[in-house]
Parts: sequence; structure tokens; C-alpha cells
Amino acid sequence: MKSDFSCLFAGEAGYGVMSAGSTVAKAAGRNNLWTFVVNEYPSLIKGGLNTCLVRLAAEPLQAHEEAIDCLASLSQEGMEQNYSRLQPNGLLIADASLAVDSTRLAPGVRVYQLPLLQKGSGDVAKIMSNSAMLGAFCAVSGFPIELIEAVLADEFKPEVFEKNRVLLRSTYEVALPQAAAATFPLPFSQAAARPMLINGNDAISMGALQAGCKFAAGYPMTPGSSVLTYLADNGPAFGLVFKQAEDEIAAINMLIGAGFAGVRAIGSTSGGGFSLMVEALGFAALAEVPLVMVNAQRGGPSTGQPTRTAQADLAFVLNASQGEFLRIVVAPGDIEECFYETFRAFNLAEKYQLPVIILTDKYLADSSATHPFFKTEGLAIERGKLADAAWLAAHQPYKRYEFTAGGVSARALPGTAGGRHIATSYTHGEDGFYSSGNYEYAGSEPEVTVKALDKLFDKEPHILAELEAVRLYGPETAELTLVVWGSTKGAALEAMTLAQAAGISVNVLQVVYLSPFPAAAVTEVLSRSRQTLLVEGNKTAQLGGLIRMHTGIQIANRYLKYDSRAFTPSQILLKIKEVLA
Amino acid sequence: MSAQDANLAYVPTWCPGCGNYGIFNSLKKAFATLELDLEQTVLVNGIGCSSKIGQYINCYRIETLHGRSLPVATGVKLVNHNLTVIAEGGDGDGMGLGMGHFVHTARRNLDISYFIHNNQVYGLTKGQTSPTSEPGMFTKFTPPPLGNVERPVNIVDMAISLGASFVARAYTGNMPHLADMMVQAIRHRGFAVVDILQPCVSFNAINTYAWYQQRVRTIAADHDPSDRERAKSLAGLWGDEIPVGVFLREERPTFADSLAQLKEGPLTEQPVTGINITGLMEELT
Repeated sequence: MKSDFSCLFAGEAGYGVMSAGSTVAKAAGRNNLWTFVVNEYPSLIKGGLNTCLVRLAAEPLQAHEEAIDCLASLSQEGMEQNYSRLQPNGLLIADASLAVDSTRLAPGVRVYQLPLLQKGSGDVAKIMSNSAMLGAFCAVSGFPIELIEAVLADEFKPEVFEKNRVLLRSTYEVALPQAAAATFPLPFSQAAARPMLINGNDAISMGALQAGCKFAAGYPMTPGSSVLTYLADNGPAFGLVFKQAEDEIAAINMLIGAGFAGVRAIGSTSGGGFSLMVEALGFAALAEVPLVMVNAQRGGPSTGQPTRTAQADLAFVLNASQGEFLRIVVAPGDIEECFYETFRAFNLAEKYQLPVIILTDKYLADSSATHPFFKTEGLAIERGKLADAAWLAAHQPYKRYEFTAGGVSARALPGTAGGRHIATSYTHGEDGFYSSGNYEYAGSEPEVTVKALDKLFDKEPHILAELEAVRLYGPETAELTLVVWGSTKGAALEAMTLAQAAGISVNVLQVVYLSPFPAAAVTEVLSRSRQTLLVEGNKTAQLGGLIRMHTGIQIANRYLKYDSRAFTPSQILLKIKEVLA
Repeated sequence: MSAQDANLAYVPTWCPGCGNYGIFNSLKKAFATLELDLEQTVLVNGIGCSSKIGQYINCYRIETLHGRSLPVATGVKLVNHNLTVIAEGGDGDGMGLGMGHFVHTARRNLDISYFIHNNQVYGLTKGQTSPTSEPGMFTKFTPPPLGNVERPVNIVDMAISLGASFVARAYTGNMPHLADMMVQAIRHRGFAVVDILQPCVSFNAINTYAWYQQRVRTIAADHDPSDRERAKSLAGLWGDEIPVGVFLREERPTFADSLAQLKEGPLTEQPVTGINITGLMEELT
């Protein structure tokens, strides 16, 4: 069984519990531990309950567990909601002002009540409470305080660092005599190279910049916005312009303008914003304008749960917009895939001249993990069929939407001599003219309509041929195959390891590309599976329905979770045992 | 170049007598007057009778969704500011569905010209009330006895209030003047709005050629277009007298002027290879 240690930092918004968590995670990552950090917060600015769960282990982590070894709380609510998660012999660190109900604690939990909340006025005093909390955490858990100090020294200006260091140390000194010679249960050793502490949205943003993305547009919507924030901050140094739009409709139309004019462009939103973009999604597809759009799912329907996770937009993004057209939908399962699949998304969008949707969720977008630097050697930019002036001179009259074998025709960017054309939202023939409104086309409308729609779908086999659309982890055949998509991958992979340790043979099928649907690859794996278990974060088994529609295979067992929180490895392990019982 | 160079072989599908012919011919004349490089010109249109103009003009064109010409034009201009970008659409397209975009595009003052074909009715859907329809007008969606009870949008007045830096009005019954307004708008560096009054011979029996001939008055030569207060007061006139001409012209920096990323040239010319994100990764350690 994996040896790990989880600490939950809890407090009202504004007290810095999330930065406390990331400080511990960075300190651990720099010293050869692996971390996974999950933030939970309500949709408000001050007050409420924010928690930051930091899970640490000596080997890579891809999910969190609900059980915790340490709870450090600055608020009563932080304890009330989390008593039951604290394991036997765990550690409870609470501000001295809080009332601890020892009857609700597991056996052997040691309680440390210390002066953590800082009494000074204003937000600065409040947020410094987290340094006191970290001092207490180091004293009672044995986490080396000097590793925390080293991170804080990098994060703060010298005078701010000194104030925090003094508070960290003084609380540590007060707590130390109460702690029974604590030794941290995981080994530290200085890492040869510092890894990143990175979340999914950071990885997507970096993937976009690496891909040469030069334009982004959007409207704020949690949990998609942090891609835009990242690009607004870091994009200008890479020549990227970010434009905040008046609404999501404007945002996607700006992106279409940018794509038509010839730059790589990205938008990021959540389900509500994506809903507003739907009409323009079909426009991009029919006009064959490359587009990359992130939908970071949150709880729905409607305004739903702005800061909580869900996997319930799959059927929606696959079918969004009227009529029929081809789109690529990719659901990265972890931070690594967020980076590389985003890079690939820009190539796919330009090579196949269509919209690519990157479907993530709050859990993946917002959770951080220790990760080595991305390897960028060998990542090649592929812009597809771009018509330059020389090519155009040899191919007059130029037909923007020429019917070709693979459905892809040469794209001339405005400003290129010989490439004047109309790109249009109307069903059109090879020259872009409206199939129904023009006298010249009136007689051939049915034929043009069929060819125009076939053109969009002729790209499908070529896309499927080049993609690694499904991934199988674990043994080729197993007693049970877990079928997952998106961020559920992490918990499923850890559950597979837990099952193996318990003598149960499990493998995991991850469907990475949901459109075009890799029916042959999915059929190939499922047809040799003895038993199957669908694990997805929605009520209606959307991937299960998709698999049945495309392959005729009904997945026998389902583990559906739609309680606004992500799956954990232990929860999936329980379900595995139940299915195989 | 001549006006004919901007012509395509397709036959326009507008009704005989439609004001769009006047706008089409004036636009081609404006292109010729300006000697525009048609390879460097992008016409962005919405959807509606007016928006079909993109199907017949031989520059780069993108025919967008109903109401969405301005955000698409914004995207085009931001990534390649060397292009001449013109947006066109009708009063329904721009003042109905597209109103939000009009408000914010005017605020931004990008170097885009926006020509609104204003016939005060929905034509392509065969005669419904538009945001610029006169009170009392009977249409398919506001039938007798009540008719339209909403006040019309005054495009010129709004454009001035919202921050467009060039605002003019023209009338399709006077094509040389219309072409001149287009020329001045395209030459202007900033968001340039031309409200083009255009009779609809099929669905608007009120605002006819005769109705306009009696009311349209060219703005007096002594009007100073840099006088914003005077421009606003002129814009308020509508009814027995309808002023046409240049109301407002202000020279001020465009949105794109504020962006350091564009100083080295358009984004379309920036390299997409050889990018090094090591610094970004180091920031997260």
C-alpha cells in the first residue's frame, strides 16, 4: 500500500489556507516528495470555508483521498466539517479560540490548540495567520521547518518574508514542547532539479504558448478563467494579445476572426459560457476556421456550482450547435495530458480546419501536483494546408472550399495575393457561395449540400488514424476493466494499484478523444474484458451511452458520482470489490 | 483600380429598387477612390439582406452569424492591424442581436469602419419590426391596431455617446455623398460608424424614397465635427429634418495603439516556432 500523508488546511476565505497548502507542497516537491493539492472553496470572496488538502508521498500521486492524517484549522467550521476525516492517531491543530469536540475524534488523535489567528486589523494580519499555522504544523508533524522557510523566502519580498518567518518560528517554538518528538513519516532528500507545482489550467496555458498561440479572448467564468488570467499575465512576453470580451458570444466570434486572419487562438470558459458560444461553434465548423476552446466543467445545470467539479457536459459539447458537423473533443486526464494535448489541439485545429474542444473539469483545472518540467524538444508545429502567394498563383481560380479527398482544402489568409474569397456561415459550394440564395447555384443545391456536408466529415478517418485516442493502463487483460474519461483517470489508476496490492487484477481504459469517437479502439479493448466498470462524474452515464451508441457494448457496472466532489482511489477500490464480490 | 475591380460575376439577389444596390455601388466607388489594395481588405458582414453585400464584393470577406460582425471584425483587426477592416450589416443585425457588440466596439475605438444599412425593417425574414422602426409602424410582428410602440434607436446619437470617433449618416438616394462618407470613414483611424438610410421597397411603406427626399438635409458646411456637443445636438434631430453628413470626427489613439505586442508588427507575422517556456516552468518551482 502506498505510504502517504495528507494534511487539510482549513479556514475562512482571506486567511491564506490555500497558500499554506501550496507552500508545504512546494517545500515537499523540492525535496523529492510528490504532492497532490486540492482546493475546495465556496463561491464567495470573504468568509465561508476554504480548505486546501495537501497529500504527500514518496512516489507520484494523481488524486486525493478523503482520509487525512492532519487537520489544521483556523475556523470552527473547518473542524466541524472535517472531524470525521481525521484518522486514528492523527493530528488536530486548532486555533486556541476554537472549541474542540473530542467526542467526535477518532482514537488516538492528538490535539494541539495554539494561538494561530493574528489579531491585528486588516487583511494583511489575517493572511499571516497561515504562517503561524505552518509553524505549528512543522512542530507537531515533524515536517522540517527550514524547508518551509526556504519556500517563503522565494515567495515574499525580504521585509514581508521576515515578518512571516518570525511568526512561523515563534509558533513553532511554542508548539514544539507539546509535540512528542515528532518524526515526519516520509523521507526528505534534496531534489536534483526543482519540479513544478502546477495545475491543469497552468498546463493548458503553457501548452498554448508553446504551440504559438497569439490571441486569446474570453469572459470570466470559474473554473475556466484561470487560463485567461495566466495568458493575460504571461502572454504578452510571447507576443500574445488577450482581449476580455463583453460576453462569451463576442469572445468566440473574436477568436473566429483571429483564426480566419491566421493566428492560433484560444478561449476558455465553463459550461454556462460554452452554452452562449454554441451558435458560433457551428459557424467555425462550417466556415472551417481553426479554433481551440477549453470548457472546464463545473456543477450544473444553469449557474449550478461555480467552484465544484463535475463531468456532466460531455453529451452537451459533443452535440452543441444545430446541424451536423465534425468537431474534435479531447478530455485530458492529468496535467501531463493538459500540456501535450493542448499543444496538439492547435495542430489538429489548423490541419483539419475545425473546432477543437478541450474538456476538463474543476478538479483537473484547479488541483496542483508536483510535476517535472515538460519536455518540449521534438514538439513540431503543423499548420496544415496554408496557401501562399506562389501556390495561389498556380491554382487560379482559387477555391477556398475545394472538394478534396481528405476534406481539407488550402486556406488563404487575408493579405495573401491571389487568395481573396468568402468564408461563410452559410452552406456553400467550393467557392464559398451560398447554395440557396444565389441564382447561379439554385439548380444544383441538393448536390452541393451533400458535398459540402460530406467535406466536413471526410476528415474523420484521417483524424482517427493519427490519434492515440484511447489509452489502456495495467495488464492487457484483467478481471475487471475500469472505463474512464477526463480527470477520473488519476483516481482510477491509483485504485488499480490498490487493487493489485489486494490481489485483484484490474486495468483501466481511458477514452482520451471523445470526438471523433474511437469506436474500433474501444471495441477492441472491451471485447476482451471479462468484466467492465464505468466510472464517471455524472448522473446519466454519458460516456457509457456514447460507447453503447458507437459500439453496441453495454458496460455492465456503473459507478456514477455527482455529489460535486471528485472520485478518490479508495472509493473506486470499494466499488471494484463490490463488483467482483 | 476601378470600381469594376471589386466586382464579382455573381448576380445580386436584392429586390429591384432595393437601397442595397446604391450601397453596393457606392462601396465599390469608395474602394476605387481610396485605391484600396483588395488583397489587404477584409469585409466582415452579418446576416440579412444587407449582409449579402459580402457575396458580391471581391476582397477578402467573412460572412458571420446574425449580429456578430463586430466581434469577428475585432478579432481580425487585433491580429492583423495592417488590414483594412470594414464591417457591414443591417439595423436588425446590428441594433437588435448585435447591440451589445456595438456598444463595446465603440468604446474600444479599434480602427474598423462599420456601415449600417438602416432600412428600419427586417427584410430577409419578410417584414418584421426592427429596433429602428418608427412608432406606429405596422409589420408582421406588430400588426394593427397597435403597431410598433417602442421608440426607435437613433444610431448616430448612440454612436456619439458610446465613443465612436467618427460618426456620419448618409442616404442611398445620394450615392456620391454616400461614397464620400464611406471614403472618409475608411480613411479615419478609429471606429467609424456610418448610418446609411436605405428604403426597403418590399416591406417598409413609410420610409420611402419620397419620404426621405422631403426630409434629408446635408449638414451645413460650417459644422465643426470636432465639436462633440454640437454633434450631439445635431444627432438629436429626426423627423421633419434628418441631417446627413459627418457629425463627429475625433483623432484619438485606437485600442490597438495601446498594445505593446503589436509594436513589432501584426500578430500574424510573429513566429510560432522556437518558443521557449522554460522561464514559465521555473516560475512554478
